Amino acid sequence: MKYLLLVFIGFVLFFSCKKDKVGYVPTPYELEIPSHFPQMKIPEDNPMTVEGVELGRHLFYEKKLSGDNSMSCGSCHAPANAFSDPNQFSTGIQGIQGSRHSMALVNLGWNNFFFWDGRSKTLEEQVLLPVRDPIEMHETWTNATKKLKADAKYRDMFYKAFGTTEPDSLLAAKALAQFLRTLISGTSKFDVMYKYENGLPLSDAEQQIFNEITVQQWGGYDLFKSLNGADCFHCHNGPLMQVEKFSNNGLDATFTDLGRGAITGNPNDNGLFKVPTLRNIEFSAPYMHDGRFATLDDVINHYSHTIVMSPTIDPLIEFAFQGGVQLDAQEKNLLKQFLLTLSDEEFINNPAFKAP
Amino acid sequence: MAKINTLGFLVLGTLFFTACKEEVVPVPQEGPAHYVKIEVDPMFDTEVLHLDSVYNTQEGYDIKFSEIRFYMEDVRNGSTQLIDAGLFDYRARGTVLLRAEGKGSDFGSLQANLGVGAANNHSDPSAFPSESMLNILNANDMHWNWSPGYIFVKVEAKVDTIPDGTPLFNHNVVLHAGLDPNLQTLSFEDLTWTTTGNDDVLRLKLDMSTFLNGSQVIDVKDEPSTHSAPGQEALTLKVMTNFKEALTVH
Repeated sequence: MKYLLLVFIGFVLFFSCKKDKVGYVPTPYELEIPSHFPQMKIPEDNPMTVEGVELGRHLFYEKKLSGDNSMSCGSCHAPANAFSDPNQFSTGIQGIQGSRHSMALVNLGWNNFFFWDGRSKTLEEQVLLPVRDPIEMHETWTNATKKLKADAKYRDMFYKAFGTTEPDSLLAAKALAQFLRTLISGTSKFDVMYKYENGLPLSDAEQQIFNEITVQQWGGYDLFKSLNGADCFHCHNGPLMQVEKFSNNGLDATFTDLGRGAITGNPNDNGLFKVPTLRNIEFSAPYMHDGRFATLDDVINHYSHTIVMSPTIDPLIEFAFQGGVQLDAQEKNLLKQFLLTLSDEEFINNPAFKAP
Repeated sequence: MAKINTLGFLVLGTLFFTACKEEVVPVPQEGPAHYVKIEVDPMFDTEVLHLDSVYNTQEGYDIKFSEIRFYMEDVRNGSTQLIDAGLFDYRARGTVLLRAEGKGSDFGSLQANLGVGAANNHSDPSAFPSESMLNILNANDMHWNWSPGYIFVKVEAKVDTIPDGTPLFNHNVVLHAGLDPNLQTLSFEDLTWTTTGNDDVLRLKLDMSTFLNGSQVIDVKDEPSTHSAPGQEALTLKVMTNFKEALTVH
C-alpha cells in the first residue's frame, strides 16, 4: 500500500508541471529574405508562424469574407497578375466599380503605408478595410467571423495559429498580414543586375542569369538611371524598386481624385499617389492609380511626351516643362527591355502563394 | 523500515511542493537609460522656417521649401562615437536629427561628417542594422542607384521668380548633393546641453537664408538643379559648403 502511495506521488510529481494547452504550438515561420534586401520589421504582436501564414492564405482566397460569398481578396489580386487586377477597375459584389486600380501586392512587408492614398499604416489595419467596403466585399466582420466560426476547418486553423476557436477580425487580420508578408519577389533578372552593380556576390545560378542579360537590357537600365535619359530612378530605386513616397507624376492638370490630399486635407498633397514598385510590372497592367494606361508602351509614352504641369507636380520630374523626357523609339524599346527584367516567374508561379 | 518510509514521504512531499516554484531571477538594478538628442531648428533669417510657407530671397523671388534633409555621419567626440549616422528629414521627422544612448557631459564638443564617409557610402545599404539611418529602409530616396551612394544634402523648393504679385510657384528647385569629393566635416565646440527628462538636448540652427546667400550665392532662378552629376560639380560643392555654413549651434 505504501509503495502504491509512493508510486502515485511520484506520478503526480512528474506530471504536475506539464503545459496546459496541448495542440497549440505554433511553429515559427522563417521568411526567405533575399540577401540583397533589408531585414523585414515584423510587428511584435504578430510574429510569423507557419500556422498563421497558412490560415492567412486560406482567408485571402476565402469568399465567405464577402457579403454574398462570391468574392475573396484573391478575386481582385490574382497571382498571375502580380496580385493585381487585369481590369482597370475591380467590380464589387454589388456590381459597383471602384475608381482606382487594384494595387499589386509585392514586397509589402517593407512598406509603411498602404492603398494609393496611404490611408493605412500597417498591413493589419489595411486588410480589414476591403471586407467592409460597400463597393468591394461589402460584409461586416461580425458576419464574416460568424461564417468562419461555423466552419470546422477554420475553428481548427484559428486554434493552431492563435490558440482559440473563436475567430475575430483582429486575428483574421493578423493571419492575412502574415500571409501578405510572405509575398516576396527578389529573384528576377533585375536582382542579378542590382547585385552585380552593388558589388554583391553572385551565386552560380545567378551568374548564369547574368550571362543571359542582353546588351539591350543593360542599355535600358542605363537609360532608366540616366538624369538625361528616362530619369526613372528618383522614384523607383533600391532593391525594392520603389521609393516610399507620394508623387504627382503629371497625369492631369486638375484632379477629380485628390489622392493623398483627400486624406491629409493639405492642398499640397492634392493629386499625389503612392509610388508603386515596378517589380513584376509586366504582369500588373493596367497602370497608374486609375489604370488609365493599358500597356507599358503607353506608360513610357506618358513619361516621354504627355506630362502635364500642375501646382503639385513632383519637382523631380524635371522635364515636365517640355512634356517629358522625349525618348525616341529606340530608347523606348531599350527601356521596355529593362522593365521586363523585373519579371519574377518564381514569384508569379510560387505554389505557396496560390489558392489552397 | 517505517522510519525510512516516513523519510521518503517527507522528501517526496518537499519535492512536490517546491518542484513548480518559479525561478526567481534577480532583476539588475539600473536607472533609466539616458539619451543624447540633437535637434535642428530650420530658420529663414530670424523667422522659424515652415515647409510650404513663403519666404523672400535677396533676389526678390518668393520661395517655398518642400524638402530639407541631410545626413550627419560618424558623430563623435574624439574617440567616443555617439552614433553611426543621424538623418534630418524636416517633413517626415520634424526637428529631430538624432537620439542615441549617452550623456551630454561626454560630448563637450562634437565632430561629424556632413554627408556619409566613403567607407559607408559604398557599402550595401541593405546590410546596415534596421535601426541605423543608413539602412535603405530609413534612407529611402536619400540613397541613389545611379551612382551608388547616399545623398548628403537634399533641398527642394518651388519658386515664384516673377515678382508681379501673382503667386506662380512653377519654378522647381532640386538640389541633391552627394559623392565622396563633396563630403564636408563639421565641428562644434564648447557645447551646452539642456536636460529634459532623460534627454540631454543640443539645438542646432539651420538658416536657409545663409544657405542661399552664404560665401557663394545660390541663385535659384539660374541654378535650380543639381544631382551631383558630371558638369554639376560647382553647384554641388556650393550646396555643401553653404549648407555647412548655415548649420550652427543655437
